[in-house]
Amino acid sequence: MTPLLTISDLHVSYKAVPAVAGVSLEICEGEVRVILGANGAGKTTIIKAILGLARPHRGAIRFAGQELLRLPSHRIHQLGISWVPEARQLWGSLTVLDNLRMGAFLENDRAKIAERVDHMFKRFPRLAERQTQVAGSLSGGEQQMLAIARALMSDPKLVLMDEPSLGLAPLVVRDVFRLAKEINGRGVAILMVEQNARQALKVADWAYLLSVGRVVESGRAADIAGKESVQEIFLGGRA
Amino acid sequence: MTLLLQQLLNGLIIGSTYAVVALGFSLVFTVARVINFAHPDIFMVGMFAGLLAGAHISQNFIVVLVAGALGAAAVGYGLERVVLRPLRSRDVLMTLMGTLGVAIMLQNGMAALMSPDPVAYPRVVPNVAFGTGDISISSLQVVNFGLSVVMLAAASFYVRRTRYGRATRAIAERPDVAAAFGVDVNRVSQITVVLASGMAGVAAVSVGLLYGSAWAFVGLLYGLKSFVCMLVAGNRYFDGVMLVALTLGVLEALVTGYFSSSLRDAVAFFVLIVVLYFRPDGLFGSYAV
Repeated sequence: MTPLLTISDLHVSYKAVPAVAGVSLEICEGEVRVILGANGAGKTTIIKAILGLARPHRGAIRFAGQELLRLPSHRIHQLGISWVPEARQLWGSLTVLDNLRMGAFLENDRAKIAERVDHMFKRFPRLAERQTQVAGSLSGGEQQMLAIARALMSDPKLVLMDEPSLGLAPLVVRDVFRLAKEINGRGVAILMVEQNARQALKVADWAYLLSVGRVVESGRAADIAGKESVQEIFLGGRA
Repeated sequence: MTLLLQQLLNGLIIGSTYAVVALGFSLVFTVARVINFAHPDIFMVGMFAGLLAGAHISQNFIVVLVAGALGAAAVGYGLERVVLRPLRSRDVLMTLMGTLGVAIMLQNGMAALMSPDPVAYPRVVPNVAFGTGDISISSLQVVNFGLSVVMLAAASFYVRRTRYGRATRAIAERPDVAAAFGVDVNRVSQITVVLASGMAGVAAVSVGLLYGSAWAFVGLLYGLKSFVCMLVAGNRYFDGVMLVALTLGVLEALVTGYFSSSLRDAVAFFVLIVVLYFRPDGLFGSYAV
């Protein structure tokens, strides 16, 4: 199967300090892949490079046969890549409804937008109840649901999820991973970045371990979860 | 009592013009992330564009108004292409100096082209005074206020209810996220600058009509005051900027009526110092830039 997204030999630096140093990875259609790593390992930088928000100085990123590296962010989104940003990054002063509409900014068909909003409100009744409130007034869990719903509004082929469990109550965290599985079940590929290795490995097909800007290990999620070194580093030494 | 009512009325009218200029100023600031020192001089160019149209093309009010809007919008378009866009994401001081340079060029260019002194404005709207008892209002004031209200309402509608207006607010809060959701930040920024400039042009024509003259250096005071309005209100809510601008107009009129007109232009800065001392982010809060 030809991969949907291929990253090869990616190098990104912030003011001469390398954040990502030669990362290669790929994800196929309909897959869930997870990048595990500690703070500062370069996980978010990879996501931002895909989105055109961080400019790599070497390497290539291809999505559905197209080179992304020289494209502006809004053109990259147009190809079918969406984003659940780290710490949500909703438009806090916009209403819930406007956040969703902005998620489908490039969709010209108003009926289609209304239909997708309806769909999201059915799936997330809490958001429907709060549709006229500003997003900044929602609870952490509701904000994460809105961030995920916003990402789905453009009907993407690939969703990049950056630490979706960060700062959420354990019950909500479980919901988020369940939701990721559900989205994937509808044929959307998910590239996830996480520190919560235990949960992430349960939903992922394939995992990469990132350390100081390099992939140090990769393999099927089940295999990675069983590795002793991985257990020690990411799972607190417990099986 | 009549003095109070009269000054409240005068204040609201002048405040409505401040609101139009300040709103444009703060829209450009939040979207393009630049303090556009040229905005008040784009206002000035609009004033002269209307004047020239009135003198050479037609004495029709609508023609003069459209000329003012187009003249200002054209300068705004050029500014965005030549100065704002190339300097975006550079050091903030560079765009600041860039727009300041354009401001000085426009002022002195217009002074050289037309006159360094005020120039008489074509009388395309008859000046009629209405009034009951001691309170009076002129047809020119009505036109000035009416145009401002229409523009503020239109801007409000645009920002709140349209797709590009929503994108404008989204960029103001999180430009990166907006871009990653398909918003062409350059394009929206350009639309914003052109709209803000066109609005300033319309306001400028109505001010020219009201005072009967256009002046190459008229921008300075409007510019400083609209900057003050944005700082006092904070740049988070556009409604806040409008409210502060209207209030400033009223305060100025009251100070003029009850104290002295020589204190009028100090009001804005006094308010600025007091508000920022207690609320450094402005009355209604600001985005981090």
